[in-house]
Amino acid sequence: MQKKAGPLFYVFLFVFVFLVMFPFLWILLSSIKPLSELFGEEAFNWFTSHPTLKSYVSVFVNYPFLKYLWNSTVIATITTVYTVFVAAFAAYAIARLDFKGKSVILGIVLSVSMFPQIATISPIYMFVKKFGLTNSYLGLIIPYTTFALPLSIWLLVTFFRKIPFDLEEAAKMDGATPLQTYFKVILPLAVPGIFTTSILVFIAAWNEFLFALTINTAENYKTVPVGIAMFQGQYTIPWGEISAATVIVTIPLVIMVLLFQRRIVSGLTSGSVKE
Amino acid sequence: MKNEKKSERRLAYILVAPSLLLILAVAIWPVIQSFYFSLFDYRLNNPAKSSLHLDYSLNLERYLESYPFLMNALKQEVAQATGEEKEQLASLQERLQQVDEEIRADEEVAKRYKQVDEILNNFEVPSEEIKIVSIDEQAAQDLTKTMQDAKQTLKTLNENGQLKQGDKLTGLANGLSGAIIEPNFVGLAHYKNYFTDARLWKALWNTTVFTVISVSIELVLGLAIALLINKAFFGRGLVRATILIPWAIPTAVSALMWKFLYDGQNGIVAKYFADIGIINNMSELLTTGVGAMFAVIFSDVWKTTPYMALLLLAGLQTIPSSLYEAASIDGATKWQQFVKITLPLLKSSILVALLFRTLDAFRVFDLIFVLTGGGPANSTETISILAYKVMFSQTNFGGGSALAVIVFICVAIISTIYIKFLGADLISDRK
Repeated sequence: MQKKAGPLFYVFLFVFVFLVMFPFLWILLSSIKPLSELFGEEAFNWFTSHPTLKSYVSVFVNYPFLKYLWNSTVIATITTVYTVFVAAFAAYAIARLDFKGKSVILGIVLSVSMFPQIATISPIYMFVKKFGLTNSYLGLIIPYTTFALPLSIWLLVTFFRKIPFDLEEAAKMDGATPLQTYFKVILPLAVPGIFTTSILVFIAAWNEFLFALTINTAENYKTVPVGIAMFQGQYTIPWGEISAATVIVTIPLVIMVLLFQRRIVSGLTSGSVKE
Repeated sequence: MKNEKKSERRLAYILVAPSLLLILAVAIWPVIQSFYFSLFDYRLNNPAKSSLHLDYSLNLERYLESYPFLMNALKQEVAQATGEEKEQLASLQERLQQVDEEIRADEEVAKRYKQVDEILNNFEVPSEEIKIVSIDEQAAQDLTKTMQDAKQTLKTLNENGQLKQGDKLTGLANGLSGAIIEPNFVGLAHYKNYFTDARLWKALWNTTVFTVISVSIELVLGLAIALLINKAFFGRGLVRATILIPWAIPTAVSALMWKFLYDGQNGIVAKYFADIGIINNMSELLTTGVGAMFAVIFSDVWKTTPYMALLLLAGLQTIPSSLYEAASIDGATKWQQFVKITLPLLKSSILVALLFRTLDAFRVFDLIFVLTGGGPANSTETISILAYKVMFSQTNFGGGSALAVIVFICVAIISTIYIKFLGADLISDRK
């Protein structure tokens, strides 16, 4: 179906992109409005004539936003590194080695990735409470394993399967053990897949809300999504600060997506397309 | 060769083991525990119900903080009392002694009894594991009965002014009866209660409405977009990046963003919707039930349609273009090509995308929690939100766990149905 695109197509494309991006655009425009222009008649003006960075300053001065960013970064990074590390071994075995119970294991991995979080929250909450892990990094890293590990295994298995099997045969011929084959032949070839998996796991851990909401309730240990969501007070909602904070967390995401879009797409679709 | 196979198999199990153990410990075990919790009247804010008790148990710390002093005080009273009161008090003293012996008849209890006694004598605090001991049902009932009688007798005597240390005695008697912990096992009572509770059915209905409507819109729109952009064009990478941004942003953050856009006074989207007549006035979006459900679905469609389009686009790209060429040579119309070639070959991609989206939508939490909190008047309260509220606002972990188990069962049913359609495609070895 490879046809050339006509001018009408580009119009459609522009409208589509505009609609998808509109909320971000509006938030960006609102984030530089002075407080008085966020309410009343002026609230619907697209462009402010008095742009200001006050909201951005306020986010860092009046809220521990930097701390939220740091917490999220630490938690998401550690979760990603450790789950991808553990998953890489399991995925290699499932994708490349011959043993019984393979499809059962993959079935378990897939079903666990479909578990609703709410079904595990009460025992996990009791567990972290019992061991004094509420309001700590470990208190979120452990629960995050529930979704990060199945996701890593699932993605890595599909990546490992794409590596040609002849390579292993050749290594075997040369007398390499399976473990040597793994480290010397497969792993170097799997680096792009591991990288893609890491990006997706990182995003999933960065965005997680329910565990973060219930387990890390102290200001000093909140993550970004919970922190921003809790900006809203009982009676007032500081829209200026919320807009600024949203822009701040969106920009790195936009950069990441622009840089790695090919990888992300290949990761997202790898489990769903038969090739 | 056989040996080699064997060692390969052993290696495989060793490599898989850490992941499997972790999954078992952090995902499967908690689900089993959730089910177990749901069989108890388990409440964090009530000391007698803050742990799970299948049997009667005794809080030895409380028991030993009251029993010796009660006996001592009774002894003094007996020595001073006369006539009928003396007899009553003496018999009470004797009965308490008997029950105490009955409790200690059990070897394990006797051992712990001594242990806790020593700890208390050293003015230390016994740990939860040591101080709570399960006791024989008969002994527990005897103790309860004795304490009821004791409280009654002491209360009457105290009111008549026949006791020297009346208030102290009644206080100690109360303390002693508080040491008995009744089992809080309730079986399937939570489930029974919820199945007759209108709020649960409403939440299930809301969840279903949200899931069915948002997923169908996302499928149709996603498919349309995928078909349209399945061609070579300038700026492809940019479009793909645009598509990914709503997916990549934290749901909680995008929900807050939409809350601003929907705002009844200052929300730009609310204003445009009112201007083009989708709603009568701006405040309708977040203050009426229908409006709020629409708002929630609209946000979800915005966030996940692009993702759906991406999954389907990847499926479309695996269909060889030669098929379409052959079809058009045979004179098939565009619509015929779509129905006869695209749809059948896209079937498994569509089903996989639908499976993941349906499950995600059914578990929806972040979006609704931040955007509407389940309101107004529970009109957007989904089953996950309800379970969360019961657990963490009402601190009713038993009931909340029962709801969580219901979510789990629904999700299991949905996946089973989809996987039936998909067959074993999803986990089969593709080479």
